Amino acid sequence: MEKLLKEKDEKYIKDLFSSKLESEVELVLFLQSEGGDKVTKFNSQYLPYTEEILKELVSLSDKLTLTVYKDDKEKEEEYGVEQISALFVEGKNTNKNVIYYGIPSGHEFSSLLEDIIDASRGTTELSDKTKAELKRITSPTEILVFVTPSCPYCPRAVRTAHQMAMENNNIKGVMIEANEFPEWSQKYSVYAVPKVVINDNVQFEGALPEDAYLENVLKGAGKIILE
Amino acid sequence: MEEFTNIFVGEETVKADSKIIYDIAIIGAGPGGLTAGIYAGRSRLKTLIFERLSPGGQIAVSDQVDNYPGFPEGISGKELTDRMEKQAVRFGAEIVPDEVRKIKKEGNLFELETASSGIVKSKAVIIATGADPVKLPVPEEEKFRGRGISYCATCDAAFFKDKTVAVVGGGDTAIADAIYLTKFAKEVIVVHRRDQLRAVKALQEEAFENPKIKFQWNSVSEHVIGENKVEGLEVKNVKTGEKVLLKVDGIFVAIGTVPNSNIVKGLVELNEKGFIKTNQNRETSVKGLFAVGDVRDTPLRQVVTAAGDGAIAEFSAENYIKNLEYIER
Repeated sequence: MEKLLKEKDEKYIKDLFSSKLESEVELVLFLQSEGGDKVTKFNSQYLPYTEEILKELVSLSDKLTLTVYKDDKEKEEEYGVEQISALFVEGKNTNKNVIYYGIPSGHEFSSLLEDIIDASRGTTELSDKTKAELKRITSPTEILVFVTPSCPYCPRAVRTAHQMAMENNNIKGVMIEANEFPEWSQKYSVYAVPKVVINDNVQFEGALPEDAYLENVLKGAGKIILE
Repeated sequence: MEEFTNIFVGEETVKADSKIIYDIAIIGAGPGGLTAGIYAGRSRLKTLIFERLSPGGQIAVSDQVDNYPGFPEGISGKELTDRMEKQAVRFGAEIVPDEVRKIKKEGNLFELETASSGIVKSKAVIIATGADPVKLPVPEEEKFRGRGISYCATCDAAFFKDKTVAVVGGGDTAIADAIYLTKFAKEVIVVHRRDQLRAVKALQEEAFENPKIKFQWNSVSEHVIGENKVEGLEVKNVKTGEKVLLKVDGIFVAIGTVPNSNIVKGLVELNEKGFIKTNQNRETSVKGLFAVGDVRDTPLRQVVTAAGDGAIAEFSAENYIKNLEYIER
């Protein structure tokens, strides 16, 4: 396969990683052979590209590793994998809860870069107020963010979900590339992105600023909004 | 394949420092704000660019920009603004992913109230907040927004593969959207209130030649029909009064823009439509506060005019700062 990352981008990412990364980050990728129970007929063609992008990415820093589990039922269960491909960013402040379903390309590639940096440093740039409010969430809470790679407004929505997951491991931040999973998208009537669904009961479309996003997450987690 | 292996790396963002005084705070990282950032960076001014969504502004969702000089084959809006962003960062402008909510002038300093960086201070401010699409004027807009009504063709076109969609509008954005949508949809109906398009001739010719694009002339949208998602658009012919139900699964709206001038409402002079009035130096009615691009009261809203505005505003802001320092001395 031809290389997917351009040379000038590789150089930029290399420099970025060498100045920003602290501890090691493991990217855990789940794949299945064609006809696998979690592959859709729409996305089997994407899988080799997803693997290739990640291979190229981890080669840019010795602090990054890529682990690939293919057709591994046991590991899929351990990580709670729902669809293929599934990518978990495992670092200082994550616990199988920063997830990408489908290819992290287009605009979402920059989400992945920023996630890796945060996971390596164990910090996020959410405001202190948001961090404090997130502590109130004590039960499992799932934030689904439906995107398309060509949507420039989507990375912010994905990043907010992932940062929240890093701040509180009761939260799962899940990106879903809508083209690859049309049935999943249809289940939530996704016709515009970004679309965010929290615990199946609160949803919103479009990019919201951090405080309004938080309000929806708290609502979805069954918390009363304090003024 | 190219659709999903096209990778955007983006630029590193920073946090604003509420303890220092910036020379220029630019609000909005579209072509106007980014150009001002390039010029300010080259002048070695301490420069911040706030961006609440994603750098690039409205043009970042344009599949193809054919009227920005220097790109004879055309260039995607995102690629173009990515380059501007890199250029601004190269010269030292800092991009902050945050929203400015209020602007106050205290003495000679501006205080910007932000969503997550606290109060940020600067000597001059350039408003480059751009504009948002006008909502489809039907009673059912809110109900169907995100359920078939869309304001971003590049974001949402993929959900309408082999479906029929309507594009409402007749300007450059509408016609470019209609052409882009034919890559996915089986039929695109352009609904326009006049009997001819306002879009530039080159786009018109392309649309007229495309067999997938149909036109519903002299028509305005009245109602969106559907259970849980869009199933049809009812339009009225403005000449005959006749009503027609178009069976469509999606409606893409491009009928103009509303300026994002809320943060300066009550502070600077606006025109009757809410666009910010400026003089030829791009200075608003408040000294040290400048406006560029789509949010400005201007006869033409294009990438090239926004970029021109950005250069002029930065030049004026720089002079304003120099003058301020001279007086203070």
